Amino acid sequence: MQTQSVSKGFSLGDLARRPETGSLIGFIAVYIFFASLGGAVFLGAPGWSSWLNIAAEVGIIALPVGLLMISGEFDLSVGSIVPASGMTLAMICGHFGMPAPVGIVAALGVGMLVGYFNGLIVTRTTIPSLIVTIGSMFAVMGLTLGFAVLIKGSTSVSYVPDATTKALLGQFINGMFNVAIFWWLGFVAVFFFLLQLSPFGNWVFAIGGDRESARNAGIPTDKVSISLFMMSGFCAAFVGVAQVMTYQTAQVAGGQSFIFNSIMCVVIGGVLLTGGAGSIIGIVLGTMTFAVVNQGIFFAALDPNIGSIIIGALLLFAVLSNDRFRTLAMNAATKKK
Amino acid sequence: MIGNLLRLPAAASIISLFGVLCFYVVFGGVDLEKLGGAASWVNYAARIGIVALPVGLLMIAGEIDISIGAMIPAGAMTTAIITGHYELPMIFGILGALTVGVIVGLINGILAVRTTVPSLIITLGTLVGMQGVVLAGSKLLTGSASVPIQAPEWAKTLFGQLLFGGSHQVIIIWWVLFAILFWFILHKSIYGNWIFAIGGDRVSARNSGIPVDKMKVLLFVLTSTSAAFVGMCHATLFNSAQVSGGMNDIFNIIVSVVVGGVLLTGGFGSITGIFIGTITFAIVNKGIDFTAIDRNWSNLIIGMTLLMAVAMNEHFRKLALSMVSKKKTKVA
Repeated sequence: MQTQSVSKGFSLGDLARRPETGSLIGFIAVYIFFASLGGAVFLGAPGWSSWLNIAAEVGIIALPVGLLMISGEFDLSVGSIVPASGMTLAMICGHFGMPAPVGIVAALGVGMLVGYFNGLIVTRTTIPSLIVTIGSMFAVMGLTLGFAVLIKGSTSVSYVPDATTKALLGQFINGMFNVAIFWWLGFVAVFFFLLQLSPFGNWVFAIGGDRESARNAGIPTDKVSISLFMMSGFCAAFVGVAQVMTYQTAQVAGGQSFIFNSIMCVVIGGVLLTGGAGSIIGIVLGTMTFAVVNQGIFFAALDPNIGSIIIGALLLFAVLSNDRFRTLAMNAATKKK
Repeated sequence: MIGNLLRLPAAASIISLFGVLCFYVVFGGVDLEKLGGAASWVNYAARIGIVALPVGLLMIAGEIDISIGAMIPAGAMTTAIITGHYELPMIFGILGALTVGVIVGLINGILAVRTTVPSLIITLGTLVGMQGVVLAGSKLLTGSASVPIQAPEWAKTLFGQLLFGGSHQVIIIWWVLFAILFWFILHKSIYGNWIFAIGGDRVSARNSGIPVDKMKVLLFVLTSTSAAFVGMCHATLFNSAQVSGGMNDIFNIIVSVVVGGVLLTGGFGSITGIFIGTITFAIVNKGIDFTAIDRNWSNLIIGMTLLMAVAMNEHFRKLALSMVSKKKTKVA
């Protein structure tokens, strides 16, 4: 143990052991790759707006999904909450002509209600959250489609929001940057505070590391889990609302891609699926990497399908390097002991 | 007697099937005779059932594979490109599809046993990656996302025929054969014991001399090869292969297996359960067309069936476990 020097301040080893390092390297590499292929258009405002718009949508959902994964749980129901909340909003405001705030509150409420339901079942039973949320995903999908056809008689409902609401939730600034990007930054700040600065964050890490010990240490584990599920329901519903505000129409289908995309962003961002490790900066970097690959492919004039190969490879690379980093980090920790 | 029945791993799936049928009869006014004779749900059950069997084994061993969603189109596409586009003999198309399955299965399996990364994430990576490979590959080689294929007569008879001149597909027979084969593997052979042991406690299984890693890799290979097989059968039957499709199959297959009483955390499940779970899912999904209920509610019914089935499973498993420990105390 005496040979082990305790380093203070900056050290390359410490940097390599930070959970974000891998995702930062990944982001820079991917950005340079597409910048060299995409040229000035990709580097300019059109390029930035195109991938930031994608990043904002999936990023808002990836944040709470990441927190859930840090605490060792999954939420696949986000894929059906997005259209469910959009449909709720369009139905209340577009079909029944109620004021926008009523529709927005109701839409967000739908998301939180599904989240509460998920959390309740996960904490009350030993059924894995993966299965519970697949169940609620199917159920919410069925309810959305069923009610849409029952009330409106169609699978899509249009809604033209008033100027103020549209400006707040669904405007393109300069005709390019969706206002959702700023909401995403707001959500990032809130979740950064929650996970990295408040005691709630410590609880989330503790639950992911060892749920039993966390409970014994006096952490209200059930309440934390339920509120995490409600957060992901809320954020998914928010994206649903923003989509309706932007595109002025709600479809019953079309949220499915968020399920795996949000998980991929989180995993590329260095969150361990087994819980207990991860960071908000990592999740944001992972989301940006995902969005750059997703959109950069169009600027690079490559076959769009190659993008999906790159994302798959990136994902495997990310998890494998995380695996390595974690072993490194664990080794360093045990040595210090 | 009833207690013994309830403690079977398949109990919840039998009750679910019965419940769904009752629901459809009472609220949907379904004609059971008509439903029983219909081909739509049996064909669908065979399609997802062939993949659900090895996925179930994998879940009993404590792992999961979602790359199947890309492997069904991958199998179809490989067959169509080799036999349809390059006009090589059918046998090469079949072998090609199965080889793609084996390769992807090996990648999944080796990554899963060599690293501590959960198999859900590994197979998510191969899922997305394979989707890209299939799409880009077919665009590159054939210039189109849909490839026609004209299979020879013998291949049609074996993989793509309609039975008895009706609308039942020959794939149903393959499904039943696979079910019997997997039943022997899981419940009658030593490998079955190994699979349960691995899912129950991986470390203890390894310590007692079970080749855990080999078994797991083998199960991953079985799973993606079965998915490629289903894809190949479909290409043969429909005379064409599309790159898309298959994403819904992921959830549908997992739901079938879970309704069938397999525990996601491993160590618990049965082939009978998976078989009945698949039938239940297929009846909910396709049988709704025979009811007065609007088709749009089918996903709601699937979600409710899944949640109720897992809740029942959990309850019955507790019953089963409490029974075992009671017996032990009596002996002591």
